[in-house]
Amino acid sequence: MKQRKRMFKLSTILFLSASIMAAYAADEVRTAPVQPPKLGGGIAQEKTVPVILSGAWSGKRLADGQPDISGHWSNTISNHSNFTDPQGRIPGEPVRAGTTQRPLGAREDRAPSRVSDPADGQVPFQAWALEKVKEFQVGFQNPTSPEYIEPLARCAPAGIPKSLYWHGYEIAQYPGYVVFFFSSGTRIIHLNGKPHLPENIKLWNGDSRGHWEGNTLVVDVANHNGKALFGRSGEFISENGHIAERYIFDSKGLRYNYVAEFTDPTVYTRPFTVTIPARKWTEKDKPNGWHFEVEPANTGNRELVLDRFERICTENNGGFGLGAASTGK
Amino acid sequence: MKTQKAQGLFLRSAVATLALLVGHAAMAADKIPRLANGKPDFSGIWQTTSAADYDLEPHSNRKDAPPGPGIVEGNVIPYLPKALEQKKKNFENRDTLDPAKKGWTLGVPRAVYYPEPFQIFERAADLNIVPQFGHSVRTIHTNHTDHPTDPNDWWLGDSRGHWEGDTLVVDVADFNDKTWLDGAGNFHSDALHIVEHWKFIDANTLEYKATIEDPQVFSRPWNISVILDRHREKNFQLIEDYRYTLDYDQYYPPKPAKQ
Repeated sequence: MKQRKRMFKLSTILFLSASIMAAYAADEVRTAPVQPPKLGGGIAQEKTVPVILSGAWSGKRLADGQPDISGHWSNTISNHSNFTDPQGRIPGEPVRAGTTQRPLGAREDRAPSRVSDPADGQVPFQAWALEKVKEFQVGFQNPTSPEYIEPLARCAPAGIPKSLYWHGYEIAQYPGYVVFFFSSGTRIIHLNGKPHLPENIKLWNGDSRGHWEGNTLVVDVANHNGKALFGRSGEFISENGHIAERYIFDSKGLRYNYVAEFTDPTVYTRPFTVTIPARKWTEKDKPNGWHFEVEPANTGNRELVLDRFERICTENNGGFGLGAASTGK
Repeated sequence: MKTQKAQGLFLRSAVATLALLVGHAAMAADKIPRLANGKPDFSGIWQTTSAADYDLEPHSNRKDAPPGPGIVEGNVIPYLPKALEQKKKNFENRDTLDPAKKGWTLGVPRAVYYPEPFQIFERAADLNIVPQFGHSVRTIHTNHTDHPTDPNDWWLGDSRGHWEGDTLVVDVADFNDKTWLDGAGNFHSDALHIVEHWKFIDANTLEYKATIEDPQVFSRPWNISVILDRHREKNFQLIEDYRYTLDYDQYYPPKPAKQ
């Protein structure tokens, strides 16, 4: 909640604080608004972001005490085509000859911006950076210069935060670690309190240090190289940026919200908050070519066990925009 | 009499030494890390000190490699004649053809002895191997599943493991032909089949052995063996090495116009 305080009036803060205290006292997160996700579906499954509050964890735990959130996960609202209007189009997307664009309808009928603070849903870019984003949005449609190619299209890691709304991914937990296995790179969250890497080392996925606070995995990201764009809409952070992440899990283990504060005095006018809703996928779900890329393992007709497709990019040999596919069937 | 006494002494000390050795071995077996299910826990960051990746076979130094005794049992890889010609061409053009030079996936078994660390994350159902180099993740399934009945040709093959005592035995099949076995042009086809044996020598040392079979390239199966050491430096960690991005990473992120 800390990051979001500034957008509320004092009375709102007091009210919310009281609710949170009540939730803590009940020793269970208020999960009423968290509905089980529907099974199956396309990329854009939902239009709303559920409320999941930070609080105690009442669900299953692993032997090392971590809340057990291991499994297959995917975002619920959209892919990386548009960061601030996730169910809108790629900005400036041309109408292909002989086709018509599907009507988008009113903005409020689509999922909200991934920027949850400021309230206008826009990244608070400095003027020069906003110019660069606009330039990218034009250049992306017909790249005449290398910087207009979305780096993920060349199999670069999707980075932060885009990995969370690219294909589905697996979260695995080990003593001292939470590991995100994405189809375009791996994020190892170190839980053992070791210091960040020396500042001059810059990485696509940054360097992550985390700890659990009840139902919330709190992660500090440094050493970010700023090279992975946030989407086909071109938003970015620089190598001077810092990201403070909170992965807030509901105790039933069905969903989590990613709520992260992005700070970068060289690109933004103020810190802002990114919110990305995610849901879990299990054996009860049908395999899904975007969110849940699995197939039944060869068990000799015993119980259902799912194999994840090979986590690999097709080595820079894909066409524009198609390079970063996993080699599944 | 004197000789007998000496022999007796020798025998006694030999028995004592043997007991010590057996005891030491038993102690080493007791001391290896284990999962809750009792299986050896290979979790950790590992790396070879060998020069295997420069050439699996014994080799002298060259401009781009230190010398090395090789890790091939019998020293020579048993190529079929046509494949040997290809290997020689690969060697001559290794600077441009070696997939690792392009930053591409190392594959199996190369990622095991490439001169960069890799991290094993082990659970009862699988081991996930994350090499520092590249972006691929190899999963060894230890959940009593078998190779798919309708397989793809995968970059890393399909790895199914089982435990024989404290040794992890892994059958790897269903490869594509796009990876190399080392930086000297040793290669394979999509008929590659590997059987690996992973075991602890002590808590900080792994022995890795593999039998490599490919009837399109080799005249018979052949064996390699390397030792892997655990990284124990304070705060040691993998530092992602997505080297294939270096050719274009200068274009990102956007920068303010120069004043």
